[in-house]
Amino acid sequence: MKQTHRRIRHTCSIFGIIPPHILRELAKRGTEEQRALALETLAHTEKLRGQREILSAFAIALPAGQKRRTIYDAQNGTTLPGKLVRGEGDPQNKDGDVNDAYDYSGVVYDFYKSVFGRNSVDDHGLRLDSTVHYSRRFDNAFWNGAQMVYGDGDGVIFQRFTKCLDVIGHELTHGVTQYEAAFVYRDQPGALNESMSDVFGVLVKQWNLKQTAAQADWIIGGGLLAPVVKGVGLRSMKAPGTAYDDPRLGKDPQPAHMKDYYNGDDDNGGVHINSGIPNRAFYLAATAIGGCAWEVAGKIWYTALCQNLRWSSQFLDAANATVTVAGNLYGAGSKQQKAVKDAWQTVGV
Amino acid sequence: MRITFTRTGGFAGIRLRAVVNEEELPAETAAQLRQLVDGADCFRLPGEIMAERKQPDRFQYELLIEDGERQNSILVDEEAVPPALQPLLEWLTDVAR
Repeated sequence: MKQTHRRIRHTCSIFGIIPPHILRELAKRGTEEQRALALETLAHTEKLRGQREILSAFAIALPAGQKRRTIYDAQNGTTLPGKLVRGEGDPQNKDGDVNDAYDYSGVVYDFYKSVFGRNSVDDHGLRLDSTVHYSRRFDNAFWNGAQMVYGDGDGVIFQRFTKCLDVIGHELTHGVTQYEAAFVYRDQPGALNESMSDVFGVLVKQWNLKQTAAQADWIIGGGLLAPVVKGVGLRSMKAPGTAYDDPRLGKDPQPAHMKDYYNGDDDNGGVHINSGIPNRAFYLAATAIGGCAWEVAGKIWYTALCQNLRWSSQFLDAANATVTVAGNLYGAGSKQQKAVKDAWQTVGV
Repeated sequence: MRITFTRTGGFAGIRLRAVVNEEELPAETAAQLRQLVDGADCFRLPGEIMAERKQPDRFQYELLIEDGERQNSILVDEEAVPPALQPLLEWLTDVAR
């Protein structure tokens, strides 16, 4: 391995023109030499961008691991990853945010492992890094390509982002998507990226609560809004556009049908807006099939994400892919396949 | 001087907006704003400052700055914000919420 690495340094430049998603693919599935070369290039690129992704990139090269979590504290700064505060197996911290990030990322790992047989975000045991207390009054949580980052919220509209298991499931699923379909973050592929994160985020929550599709509330970010805000959460997969209606926030802008598709430029072409359409398709399919949503509908969506969909996929591609996968898994003309087909039709795709 | 500020995206996908008129601000606040705008060299920034590789759930900011004859509109991804522009965006975010 050492020798391979030395040789790479001289051939690195040829990888400069290869898009990061292909490099990541090579890092994951390539021959030993391709993997090493791709990792080296990725690490170099990230270093140039002044990011700390290098460590996590190299974590891919480690032998397939089990659950490994590391929690950092940005101490209200913006330098990532921040100060190490809790590693795998360490005792509880006195900071509740640290413990929630640790516990919930563990639940997400367990969900992917036991439901889909997936070993972490990259399916190769990637260490799950999280940073809490990012920035000052930061109203957000995000996945930066290598780790999760959580803000404290402003305390007026948003509470702390580590509070909700579905938020943590959402962010880690962005990691999964990055290693699978790698949807470009704009317009319909971007909205599919967001929808996949909501779908598996909500499934983690339902799985943890042992809820059936009929029992679940299908709300994303319930408990994230401060009590004074008029709303049940940030998004409703069951009824997009109805999650909140508040003088300060305005009204939930999500469409529930293609006829209300948002065509503007905000939010990278409405990736958090138009995700309402595929979100509702998933809800409709899962409730028509019945039982626990992760068992059948979840499996269909997960298989499509990993095997059929790609960076440029549109809503129609997602509809076709999930109908095809449902046919492959449960038979052409099966009840499951019909449920998926009807669901997409109902939302106008 | 007038600034129209919009923040979109983020995990919540909630739009935040503020219009700030320098003329309507107390003198001290107006001076502070002027300093932040000058510090960011706002009229020389390009119209679009995009991340090479978009990070999911990051914010996007849109600024329209009008000052007499001069004006500039800037669309910037949170992960690509120039350090000199950061304090102005934080100030406007606080005003907007």
